[in-house]
Amino acid sequence: MIDIESLIAQSAAKINERHGGRDVLHGERAPTAYWDAIIENGLHLAWASEEAGGFGAELSEVAGAIWNMTPAPVPFVETLIANKLLELGGLELAEGTASVAMGAADGALIIPFANAVDDVVLFADGQIMQYKSKDLEFHSIDSLSPDTDGVADFSKANPINNMQTNISRFSIEAIILTLRCVQMAAVMDGALSLSIDHVSAREQFGRPLSKFQAIQHQLAEAASQVAAANMAASQACAALSQDIESAWHEAVIAKVQISDSVESATSAFQQVHGAIGYTMEYDLHHYTRRLWAWRDALGNEHLWVKKLGDDLASKDKDQLWQGVTTGVWQS
Amino acid sequence: MNRFNFPTIKPDPALEELRSEVQAFLRAEKEAGNFQSEPECWMSSSDPEFSRKMGARGWIGMNWKGYGGHNRSALERYIVTEETLRFGAPVGAHWIADRQHAPMLVEHGTEAQKEDILPRIAAGECYFAIGLSEPGAGSDLAAVKTKAEKLPDGSWKLNGQKIWSSGAQHAHYMVSLVRTSPPDGRNRHVGLSQVLIDMSADGVSVKPIRDLAGDAHFNEVTYDDVILPADALLGEEGGGWKQVTSELAMERSGPERFLSSYTTLEQAVIELQGKMGSNAKARLGLIYANLRTLRGMSFGIANLLEQGISPETEAALVKDLGNTLENKVTQNVRAMLSELPISELSDTMKRIINIGVLRSPPNTLRGGTTEVMRGITARQLGLR
Repeated sequence: MIDIESLIAQSAAKINERHGGRDVLHGERAPTAYWDAIIENGLHLAWASEEAGGFGAELSEVAGAIWNMTPAPVPFVETLIANKLLELGGLELAEGTASVAMGAADGALIIPFANAVDDVVLFADGQIMQYKSKDLEFHSIDSLSPDTDGVADFSKANPINNMQTNISRFSIEAIILTLRCVQMAAVMDGALSLSIDHVSAREQFGRPLSKFQAIQHQLAEAASQVAAANMAASQACAALSQDIESAWHEAVIAKVQISDSVESATSAFQQVHGAIGYTMEYDLHHYTRRLWAWRDALGNEHLWVKKLGDDLASKDKDQLWQGVTTGVWQS
Repeated sequence: MNRFNFPTIKPDPALEELRSEVQAFLRAEKEAGNFQSEPECWMSSSDPEFSRKMGARGWIGMNWKGYGGHNRSALERYIVTEETLRFGAPVGAHWIADRQHAPMLVEHGTEAQKEDILPRIAAGECYFAIGLSEPGAGSDLAAVKTKAEKLPDGSWKLNGQKIWSSGAQHAHYMVSLVRTSPPDGRNRHVGLSQVLIDMSADGVSVKPIRDLAGDAHFNEVTYDDVILPADALLGEEGGGWKQVTSELAMERSGPERFLSSYTTLEQAVIELQGKMGSNAKARLGLIYANLRTLRGMSFGIANLLEQGISPETEAALVKDLGNTLENKVTQNVRAMLSELPISELSDTMKRIINIGVLRSPPNTLRGGTTEVMRGITARQLGLR
């Protein structure tokens, strides 16, 4: 479940109300005032355990905070993940903004928000390494995201902290995919709200667009994808809060489910907006471009369905059914 | 507030224990040759003997207390029903009575009706049919014209016609939405009521309708001066529309709304074991993710029903997504099977993929069309 009414989520909503909004959405990446408010409220430490110096909040509550901040251009999710990785490595949590890098299944090693963050935490072969961004030379890359994604050559810098662990890449993928899925579900829901507002206000042929059945059905269909995305992200969160090591499977299912619905959902949102939705000036692209970027992040749906299919083909009909009904995967 | 209410349910070992029991029973029945797995079994595959066996094990009538009911949770019932769908078992005879009419009788039936009918439903011996659609009232359900007229002694005289009533030829009872008083101006939801009809009553006639495959599972039912006792009125006189709406939430959210074609998929996985190519794997991976998500949504609604919440919009969303998915499953199975020469496919596989294709059109029609579902969702979104 994604608890958007938890105390942490409410706190996130308040920060977003005060420091977010259109100007911030269209403005610089990682705006200082917004981030300062996150630090002041300790939200960047929400998910890390108390022993590690965090608040040890439930993932459902943290997911609610992520939901209420999306799509503000702040590296909140990235910092939460970075701190979880540092915690898993037994290292000190990051004080400021942080991002995460791990080699993706498609070979890419993309760092969201690249040089807009203070630290970058790299995961490779069980090693968790914390770098200072100022020590890294970033190259911007051709990205669909409005957030500044980049790449860096880690071999040219030394980490400030470093721990070899026996944590598998599946655990880290589960964490990153799950939190990204929460964001995707949230931004899809936000784009639906924008679309509802637009078709209710915009009039053609003497009545609001919302009164045309063709429009109603397009948005109803998109809403069903929004609802499914929410469930997929919720199931991934539930699996991750139960046990990081076995959460990979549900995380991949969620990433497939949500990424696969991005095309039909964003097509509907763009279509009902008409040409205004295709402008830089209007807000919609902040939602759709993130969905287009995130469906590719850490491997797109086409890549992950092959992995799921490989796994299923190596098992039998009973595992297929057990997976559908319980999400449990016998490794 | 979240836009929609779909709780996630924590894993429960007790439910998994129940699942194992049900699986063991179904496996034994299938191996004994007592049934063949079929797609859409809950609608087209009826076997009273099988229903009685389910009843004897306490797997019908799970959700009510007393009157033969077993006082178990909606989640437990869900586990049982999803397993029977997975096995494509012949559950069609009791399905509708167990799903929607028994709960309706528990809520609105008289003491005598409950004592008489509910234990028989739980035993797998008493079957029901739905009387909603009429020749002139399909998606526009409020246009029903079947009329129940109150006679001076309190009994009702019923005249009219219902259509697409699945299983009416085997049913002992039917519950119909009928007009008991005229609409209030343009408000047609007023004056509708639900009545319980004994199918053996004088003036009830059932005429089978063959579907495009030649099977006669649905029917046209005519009421010609049928006299119903006073207590045939279920619930409130004039409250039929509201009752039907909550009945449909139950009807639309269950596992049969996305698993009708599952048995086809399972058979394909068996046939392709060790031989699956990359295209088949990719399709299987995607369907699997879709099924897992839908199952979460549908199971979440079972939990809401358990708490006495009747989520109309969420049920409509599950039905819309689920019906699309079950047809998508059938089409993807066709694609997966194309990786094998036809000569390598078993007769079972060929039979059930054909049944799956033939039985795909009603998925997006019965229980409310996709268009009606989207209308319900659009209303919730504030668009109409």
